[in-house]
Amino acid sequence: MAEGFDIDHLAKLARLSLTAEEKVLYSSQLNQILGHFQALADADLPATIDDARVVNEAALRSDEPGPVLGAEAVTRIAPASRDGQISVPRVVDDES
Amino acid sequence: MADALHTLSAAELGRRLAAGTLTSRALCEALIARYQRVNDKVGAFTHLDQADVLAQADASDARRKAGQGRGPLEGIPVAIKDNIAVKGQPLTCSSKMLAPLVSPYDSHVAERLRAAGAILYGRLNMDEFAMGSSTENSALRKTFNPWDLARIPGGSSGGSAAALAAGLVPLSLGSDTGGSIRQPASHCGVVGLKPTYGLISRFGLVAFASSLDQIGPMARSIEDCELLLNALSSADARDMTCFGPSDRGLTPAGDAKKLRIGIPKGFLGKGVAPEVAAAVNAAVEFYRAQGCAISEAELPSADLAVPTYYVVATAEASSNLGRYDGVRYGHRSAAAGTPVEMMTASRSEGFGPEVKRRILLGTFVLSAGYADAYYVRALRARAKIRAEYLAALAGVDVLLTPTVPTPAFKVGEKASDPLQLYLEDIFTIPANLAGLPAISVPCGKSGHLPVGFHLVGAPLSEAKLLAAGRLFEAAHGYAHQQAAL
Amino acid sequence: MSNAPSDWEVVIGLEVHVQLHTRAKVFASSPWGFGKEPNEQVDPVVLGLPGTLPVVNREAVEKSILFGLVVGASVPEHCSWDRKNYFYPDNPKNYQLTQKDFPVVVGGQVEIELPGASRNVMGEHKFIRIHHAHLEEDVGKLSHAGSGSLVDYNRAGVPLLEIVTEPDLRSSAEAEAFLRSLVAMLTQAGVADCDMEKGQLRCDCNVSIRRRGAEKLGTRTETKNLNSISSVRDTVIYETARQIRELEAGRSITQETRGWNAELARGYVLRDKEDAHDYRYFPDPDIPTLKISRETVARLAKQVPENLYDRQRRYVEKLGLPYTAASVLVNDRALAEWFEAAVAAHPTNPSGIANLVANDLLRDLAASATAPVSLESCPIKPAQLAGLVKLTDEGVISKQQAKEVFAEMFTSGRDAAAIVDAKGLRQNSDTGELEKIVQEVIADPAVAKSIAEYRAGNEKAINALKGPIMKRTQGKANPVLIDQLLRKFLA
Ligand SMILES: [Mg+2]
Ligand SMILES: [Zn+2]
Repeated sequence: MAEGFDIDHLAKLARLSLTAEEKVLYSSQLNQILGHFQALADADLPATIDDARVVNEAALRSDEPGPVLGAEAVTRIAPASRDGQISVPRVVDDES
Repeated sequence: MADALHTLSAAELGRRLAAGTLTSRALCEALIARYQRVNDKVGAFTHLDQADVLAQADASDARRKAGQGRGPLEGIPVAIKDNIAVKGQPLTCSSKMLAPLVSPYDSHVAERLRAAGAILYGRLNMDEFAMGSSTENSALRKTFNPWDLARIPGGSSGGSAAALAAGLVPLSLGSDTGGSIRQPASHCGVVGLKPTYGLISRFGLVAFASSLDQIGPMARSIEDCELLLNALSSADARDMTCFGPSDRGLTPAGDAKKLRIGIPKGFLGKGVAPEVAAAVNAAVEFYRAQGCAISEAELPSADLAVPTYYVVATAEASSNLGRYDGVRYGHRSAAAGTPVEMMTASRSEGFGPEVKRRILLGTFVLSAGYADAYYVRALRARAKIRAEYLAALAGVDVLLTPTVPTPAFKVGEKASDPLQLYLEDIFTIPANLAGLPAISVPCGKSGHLPVGFHLVGAPLSEAKLLAAGRLFEAAHGYAHQQAAL
Repeated sequence: MSNAPSDWEVVIGLEVHVQLHTRAKVFASSPWGFGKEPNEQVDPVVLGLPGTLPVVNREAVEKSILFGLVVGASVPEHCSWDRKNYFYPDNPKNYQLTQKDFPVVVGGQVEIELPGASRNVMGEHKFIRIHHAHLEEDVGKLSHAGSGSLVDYNRAGVPLLEIVTEPDLRSSAEAEAFLRSLVAMLTQAGVADCDMEKGQLRCDCNVSIRRRGAEKLGTRTETKNLNSISSVRDTVIYETARQIRELEAGRSITQETRGWNAELARGYVLRDKEDAHDYRYFPDPDIPTLKISRETVARLAKQVPENLYDRQRRYVEKLGLPYTAASVLVNDRALAEWFEAAVAAHPTNPSGIANLVANDLLRDLAASATAPVSLESCPIKPAQLAGLVKLTDEGVISKQQAKEVFAEMFTSGRDAAAIVDAKGLRQNSDTGELEKIVQEVIADPAVAKSIAEYRAGNEKAINALKGPIMKRTQGKANPVLIDQLLRKFLA
């Protein structure tokens, strides 16, 4: 199966900062766990994933507007807010 | 008399409340007194708002007096795992990340319990974000096994199981992603049921791994477990994966003495402790003596279950836990900087080591270049495992194994070895992968430590599992057992 | 420079995000709409509170299917949703629910019309293929305030249909024409309002260039989040010029994601390929695969309006409308239907009706207080307008008088005939009286020269006699009748 992962890249993707010790620890634990996953690589598996989870249109929501929390409730649980909005450090790259 | 209230079953308490020989306030006061004596030893609860509980009890007593009682759970306290939303109560998932959060909304099950007149009684400790098998991963406190305070209660619903075994509450809710209801139930000598995937709404259950998670009832007897299950099961339009009992209908129990019981080949060899094997074998012999047909079942892909589970569960978890970034709610790091730095610092400070480990693993198995080898193969393996279980369950009514290979271990014993801990769930995981109902029933002791056996059935065969458990329970002394504290 | 720009061919593909016309959000019941206070249109699901789950809005799915039917796409038996994972403060769950592998619309094409040589001449038509369209959720809005930024999640969870074209567009004019066609089709089918002022339509624009005649596509860049048709046009022009400049200077094009500064009319690099996100897509476990019933598709098929250009062709070819009037009418479905209702009431002169609708009616509607122009509040009903044209066609009033009657109809909403009677505008069609006046005028020596010219073969000379007749009848003479009488007496 896949050879070594890049712990720095993973941490960046997952928005985690790891200390040097954590990197060593998690790397070795992940390696051990991935080793245990070898059975998955060796197994003879069906080609398709038969998806048992299918719903029809009855499971859909009707287009009826429901209640809202209100800005007061939204900002009450927010770590920082201003004028009904949630404040965060300045976003520089305005790509979305 | 009041002193013994904590030993009674929910069913018995319900009868006394209905007969007017007991009030919900008296019951709650007795349980609060017990909480004050015992909770610090066991650590089952992370939060109990006594004034709120008594207000709920008074409201229940008033309803009953006015002839507006809401059914068998009216006035009965139900304690709730701290990953199930109750409006106005903390929703911490035993994580620093959510320690500041008070839920602004009710889960579907909370609504169901309110509608049934139950008292929403306190928050129960758990492994952080339900990741773990010992409740040692809680960032809030330690929970100990009431039968041996040096040992773990199991997890992740460790608080839910320990609260029952310690007589702190008659009923509790747990959640089960890979065994998180059944494993602690087994370790604490109580009954825990993981329903068919989709029987109980997940709306308001903080997601760990959405395709595996289910809320389930925990109790000290089969009767109580069924009482709670019935209150929780209902279709809910807010969870597209929930169909409830009405859609397909629960399979009737039938005669428990005619159940066909399959014993998966080779399962008792998998690192099962001799005392556990002995207790489970005795249960098999009991059923045989009752007239049940015992046969061997083939589950050739059983060895794939643990790796499949850890790929699927961590992949989903890595995405589900993405929302905890310090922006909208929960912990935000004091370290300023860019939004990326703020989010990264908040997550790094807010999550414990096991959660980080699983997020990293889940991120890896979904990442570019690796998803096909891990995530997609795991989905295919899952389909194979499900097909094998459904095939086996076409020939028998239930599959019987131990719930856990060994009794509860000592606190700290396996803390440094995540893989060892992952193997705790070897018997319980397949039911989650296949979406099947499963139950852990107390069946004896290994020394002073409880042991349970595990039954898995076809989809919506909960009634059969309960009937099988009831047959065993009636002939043995394990119902209502509590640890001496 | 060794090569003229015309040696290069530009290849454009668009990803168009349109907010669908629904009342509630796509996976939550929270309402949405423009102009609300920040975070007032947010519920636990929109905010991604722990424990909340998405439930797909039926109307959003049906609007998406309807779009597919409008562009002749196939509607698959099943569709499903995936998670696109990336961290951003405007993204409440840090994953976006979108459709990667099984979108709700596959294929289809949009007919476009390029500008003609003048506004009276129809331009070239082309078909632009749609690769697919998928139903996803919008994100919140960030604004900057001092050293920080503020997040408003009102827009989060608004249903977005992302329409992805094949790389079939070959110029900024084609891109512009495509977007205009698309907007007309979306609005005419009631799928979306496409109000660009409100950010209801946003484009990502993929541009590459290659030597004319080359088959292989060049390296493309993607410019994101263009919120007007003109920004798309300007971006294509800018990117084409930039890429040609790069290649002709011997440099290569980097596959990169770019932004567009509309104020400076300048693009800029957001990130290059190395920084490309690893979105870790996987099927959303909270939303089961959706089976789309053929009954639903059949029901929605009945709601598909006549195609814009099919209608235009019908107006020109069957109703004999001039291209200009036809193109004005078909751009607005309500206007076209209004016009057709009028034609139904007076089928012999569609051009006369079209002329009044496309010029007078639109002008007066635009000038009246209600903006945007709404036919619902139009004081004149189609049959009334038809009545006016009929009176003119029958010679009861003159064209000049018709203008006056129209103005009165627009203020009072009364029938044309009633206004004509009340104002005494009815033309004098009393043959006996008119014959007398015509003979008197012919006898006037002042017009002898014109009579002689007419008799010598100058048809137009007869018009000089009509003025004095009108003057004597205070303009009420039926011009058709005057013409007939003049010709009779001068013959
Ligand atoms: Mg795009
Ligand atoms: Zn998109």
